[in-house]
Amino acid sequence: MRVTPRGFDTEFDPAQVFDDPTEMDLRPGADNCYKCSTCDTSCPVAEVDDDFPGPKFQGPEQWRLKKGDDRDIDPSITDCSNCMRCDNVCPSSVPLSQMHNTARGEYVEGQAPSLWSAEDALADGEFREALSYLRGVPSELSIEFVRNRVLSNYGTMAGLGSEVPRLTNLVMGSRVTKWVNDRFFGITAERDFPEFATQTFREWWRERGGPKVESADKRVAYFHGDYSNYNTPEVAKAMVRVYEFFGYEVRVPTQRCSGTPMFANGMLRDARRAAAVNISNLSDFVDRGYDVIASCTSCSMALGQEYPELFDIEGTQEVSTHTYEALEYLRIHEDLEDELRDADVEFPDLAYHAPCHARNQGLDRQAVELFGELDSLEVEDVGDSCSGISGTYGWKTEKYDTSMQIGEEMFEHMHDATGETGLTECPTCAMQMGHGTGYEIRHPLEVVEAALVDQ
Amino acid sequence: MSSRTGTDTDVVVIGGGSTGCGIARDLAMRGVDVTLVEKGNLTHGTTGRMHGLLHSGGRYAVSDQQSARECIEETRILEDIASHCVEKTGGLFVQLDEDDDAYYEEKLQGCRDCDIPAEELTAEQAHEIEPYLTSDVKRAIKVPDGAIDPFRLCVANAADAERHGGRVETHAPVTDLLVEEIRAEYVVNATGAWAGRVGEMAGLDIEVRPSKGVMTVMNVRQVDTVVNRCKPKGDADIIVPHETTCILGTTDVEVDDPDEYPEEQWEVDLMIDELSALVPILEDARTIRSYWGVRPLYEPPDTGTTDPTDITRQFFLLDHAERDDVGGMTSIVGGKFTTYRLMAERITDHVCEQLGIDRECTTADEPLPGSEDAGVLDDYMDAYGLRSPIAKRSTKRLGSKADEVLETDDPNPVLCTCEAVTRAELRDAIDHSGTDLNAARIRTRASMGNCQGGFCCHRMAYELSPEYDERAVRESLDELYQERWKGQRHALWGEQLSQAMLNHALHATTMNRDRDPANDEEPGIEYGAFDAGPGPDAEADRSATAAADGRVRSDGGVSDDEKDSSENGGTGKQEESTRGDQ
Amino acid sequence: MAISDDVLVIGGGLAGMTSALAAAEEGVRVRLLSYKKSTLRNASGLIDLLGYADGGIVADPFEAIPALHEGHPYERVGVERVREGLDLFDESVGASYLGGHTDRNALVPTYGGTVKPTARYPVSTAAGLASDARPVLLLGFEALSAFDAPLAAEHLRAAGVPFDVRGVSIEFPKRFRADATAMRFARALDRDEPADDADIGTRAALVEEIKDHLDGAERVGVPALLGDEDPEEVRGTLESGLGVDVFEVPMGPPSLPGLRLEDRLYDALDDAGVRVRTGNPVVEFDPDDGYITTVYTDRNGQHVPFEAEEIVLATGGLVGKGVKSDRQAVYEPVFDCHVPHPEDRYEWFRDGAFDDHPFARFGVSVDRDLRPLDADGGVEYENLRAAGSVLGGYDLAAEKSGSGVSIATGYAAGRAAGECA
Repeated sequence: MRVTPRGFDTEFDPAQVFDDPTEMDLRPGADNCYKCSTCDTSCPVAEVDDDFPGPKFQGPEQWRLKKGDDRDIDPSITDCSNCMRCDNVCPSSVPLSQMHNTARGEYVEGQAPSLWSAEDALADGEFREALSYLRGVPSELSIEFVRNRVLSNYGTMAGLGSEVPRLTNLVMGSRVTKWVNDRFFGITAERDFPEFATQTFREWWRERGGPKVESADKRVAYFHGDYSNYNTPEVAKAMVRVYEFFGYEVRVPTQRCSGTPMFANGMLRDARRAAAVNISNLSDFVDRGYDVIASCTSCSMALGQEYPELFDIEGTQEVSTHTYEALEYLRIHEDLEDELRDADVEFPDLAYHAPCHARNQGLDRQAVELFGELDSLEVEDVGDSCSGISGTYGWKTEKYDTSMQIGEEMFEHMHDATGETGLTECPTCAMQMGHGTGYEIRHPLEVVEAALVDQ
Repeated sequence: MSSRTGTDTDVVVIGGGSTGCGIARDLAMRGVDVTLVEKGNLTHGTTGRMHGLLHSGGRYAVSDQQSARECIEETRILEDIASHCVEKTGGLFVQLDEDDDAYYEEKLQGCRDCDIPAEELTAEQAHEIEPYLTSDVKRAIKVPDGAIDPFRLCVANAADAERHGGRVETHAPVTDLLVEEIRAEYVVNATGAWAGRVGEMAGLDIEVRPSKGVMTVMNVRQVDTVVNRCKPKGDADIIVPHETTCILGTTDVEVDDPDEYPEEQWEVDLMIDELSALVPILEDARTIRSYWGVRPLYEPPDTGTTDPTDITRQFFLLDHAERDDVGGMTSIVGGKFTTYRLMAERITDHVCEQLGIDRECTTADEPLPGSEDAGVLDDYMDAYGLRSPIAKRSTKRLGSKADEVLETDDPNPVLCTCEAVTRAELRDAIDHSGTDLNAARIRTRASMGNCQGGFCCHRMAYELSPEYDERAVRESLDELYQERWKGQRHALWGEQLSQAMLNHALHATTMNRDRDPANDEEPGIEYGAFDAGPGPDAEADRSATAAADGRVRSDGGVSDDEKDSSENGGTGKQEESTRGDQ
Repeated sequence: MAISDDVLVIGGGLAGMTSALAAAEEGVRVRLLSYKKSTLRNASGLIDLLGYADGGIVADPFEAIPALHEGHPYERVGVERVREGLDLFDESVGASYLGGHTDRNALVPTYGGTVKPTARYPVSTAAGLASDARPVLLLGFEALSAFDAPLAAEHLRAAGVPFDVRGVSIEFPKRFRADATAMRFARALDRDEPADDADIGTRAALVEEIKDHLDGAERVGVPALLGDEDPEEVRGTLESGLGVDVFEVPMGPPSLPGLRLEDRLYDALDDAGVRVRTGNPVVEFDPDDGYITTVYTDRNGQHVPFEAEEIVLATGGLVGKGVKSDRQAVYEPVFDCHVPHPEDRYEWFRDGAFDDHPFARFGVSVDRDLRPLDADGGVEYENLRAAGSVLGGYDLAAEKSGSGVSIATGYAAGRAAGECA
């Protein structure tokens, strides 16, 4: 007999009442707040940037002060990097990130209604109408909007870029391109664009002929996300090999970006479109007995938490409850610890950074706990600070300095650690770690692969 | 001294509620020398303890059509002259599947009969306006109900009375109508539920029938429209959005004494149980406090109504010369908040007639102070360096005073984060209300949000310094904190009980306010008996100077003289705390 | 397959962390599950043991503890466990806390201008003790509305402190927006960010500002904002610049001393090899013949199993949500252990804000082995122990005993669990 005591099953779900996230009324979520400010102590942005008032103001306070038809969200909402650390710390379970995401969506809608209308008109083929919307929109606003849309739709850009990876890498790496981006689009020239792999993961998967293992009861659908597909296919390949080592049948459903960068930019319309595709495709697999596995902790976060909080698309909850982070799933279903205990692995010593989104899912200590069992390898946790990049945040010219200030602590601790290779689950944290230290950054699945599969 | 009659003032108005303030304004505008006296703060009685509904009249459209007509007319006037006190929320009469069709039709017809604009809505249209309404909605009638801040309204009336030469004396209890400390030619008794008490002093028998009603305050606005249940008048049938909260109302139980009556658990439970049938999320939503008000119901002798719900809501003007052969005094009883101006107009007409003054009433046309140029408010949004929701709330509260109050070069931190009240706004309130922080509270709403003062009472009190001394600050803080506690007691479960424990831990554990040695009787703490630090010499050195009685001040500590002056120089404790505690 | 350990501690506050450390000392494998951040971040960072008993102030808590009523958590574990618990605490936090040299309480100035008795105090507050006779200058910052230094000084004088005390408000040398969080101040000092009006750092600028006001004071008290990462260095710089001692006045939430204590204890957990898992609540469990075998954490409806021999419940009280309530009842949400409380909701409180409130004592009642008891006085589960503010029978606020009870019962429960596992 399993016992479910009372106490955790009464959370309010506004998604039942509102179908559009920008219409959502989250004032009742403010009921849980008792003002303790724990969220503010965890906010990496408020610590370095006092123009940002912190999650308590942005969440429960701002919501509580709203009247029904108020549309004037404080502009500082765009300074929130959507690291979601506040969610993880609130002792009273205020739905902080949901409040931030929704407020940001509302703000962007409010700022750019004409731009959105123009886009809708374009989609309908009404060019004349589209043009009429665009007249009178200040050019800075439309440029920022376009920049944020480009950044948050990384997958589309990457899809084009990876058609001709070498050329794209050459162009994106050029000083002229960076100068143009910085000057005209507000994309910082301080960073190097991630290089595109010469062969994407999906190309490799096709060439390989799909799964090598078939199983009736151990079946997973892999949500690789854009980054592992276009930029770090070695992570995705490691995932496949490790799961096949444990006898799982791996499938790779058609998918779009998880939506993480779109949430962070308030582009809830884009996010909803992407989510609808993902939920539809993944729920087909879930119905057939597959669990969904993500190797990127922001992707598992989006599927597991943000989708059900923001969207009322059919199948959302089902996909959410069946989505797992790759290593955690193995810990629950296999004796991964035991397998690793006796393994001999050739891998450099590691400085591990826990991504904020991993922290939010309770996974921040998993890698160190697991690899702590390996004698041949030292792995150190570089502390609980935020890397500062938060997806697209650190790519914006105006946010670059803040992003690097937040990251300072992590860079210092990485330098203090013995290992000179970084380790993390999140691709954008990896960019920041590499950018701040010059280290090569690996993924925990690659360590498991080296320990178990390569032998 | 009044030049006209040789008395101190021509007219004394007793009672600083909406009616009294309205009368004072009207008299002053007609050039009458008037003094208003109030035993507590303005709104100390019923006005400060209502749900803030500005009636369209829809509620009375079936049972009392004269009141209904007065309501819609007065509502239109107040929207105009007191725009900074009014929020035009609109109202719904919601019929659920189980409710009587005939009553719905009657209500609709009644509204039309009384010229109350009434629009019929389908269930779907009602949900579009208020998504959290139950799915059992059958249909609804939309009427122009609104929400009003009674305190700001009274202050505006009083301020305008003063601007026209009247005087307003608060914390001035009337003890005896015969002791001529203020001699007046004419007395208006506008003390509502307390009218019987005042009458007794003059040997008059005024049969007010005070009736209590509970108001339960929710932490957030679950609805933005006034939501009424469309069924014959009963308990727990209305939800009024008020500032950041919703107020659930109410009960109707006759009481003997308007100052002493039981505040009961069943009343609070009834609000939640009944009204969650209308808006289901209320069932598990957080309430932050409950308060009770006393209606000043009156019915002419020998009417003999038994159920207070059936007593008329109309007002009565009792000229005690006609009625009791006691000259120079009139009482006004019954009536309701929405028609306060009309009541004031009628009684002022009557008083002027007695005094032989022939001046027209202009209170329906002249805007109240703070409400002029309300259109300018939107322009303030980006000013003052405040975050937009904070600027918006402050400017709405301050009306046309916003510029003067909020423009400051000094740091202007938000003191009450629940209600977005900044230091500048609180200091402005303190300029008017001194050490009475409860008065500052109702001016600003500071400490009226979800933490119920746990995180801001002390910050508010500290603003009294340096103008007032430490002892006065301490006493004001204790008084405010206790007043906040009083209403919270009726909301102590779930989130608010957790909040209460957190507040308790903060004030008792971290600040040690519950065992504050400054409140100790002699001899106080023996400082020498406690750890003075671990240093090798510290023990010997430091505890030696702190002698066993803890009173040695060898290093030029505070002298006894200084200490005495701080004890005696404090501002005396104010009257019992104000009761306006929505 | 469940994630398996010997001892499972549920709750990551002071009691939970102490339990985990005590269990780990027994050489078993310990996992700590923590849902959210603990209430340490709201607390002053002072370790109150017992400040008041029978309405009177307590100078020596070890003398007063044996006289406490039956059912008080200290009575349950006995004074020896209290001492051992504090020893473990002292060992875990090292030089960052003082007070262990004596059994006596210390009196620490509060930001409300009172003093309060406490047993262990962060080294950063040490120079502020009220039994020290050296003259004090209190310093506040204009934008920081929770601490009014001149008023606090006046209040301390009214409390009869045996030293001269003055207060002054200044502007922080780096001007933030008026609602900047405490963390922003701490960060500016940690990193010694450049001050606004000078070519010097925030720390040096602060020293310059304070110097003008010293006027014979031998110690300076400032709100507890002096750095998060490196508070000793920040305070050290101020002390050497001023030539006098500097101490922190513990503040309300968010509390830097509470945060620092949490960091220290987490380091101690890492050193002790305790495995920590945060972010998800325990929502279900498998009972088997009077024992709990497995508990499940929830993440958006997805359940992750954890199994262990012994379990410690350290989920906190009403504030930490280890004890919850609704209009009808008070309950313990994880295992539904019995929480004694009056049936009538209007008996849960008293009418005065600082009266003796029954709600302040809500929590589970336990046997002398700290096992929660059901309504009939029987043990709820053989392998379940409770520690910290989930326990009832004491009023941490009135007694000033919160941290002490968490440490003593956390230690006793953790040690017993470790021995049994």
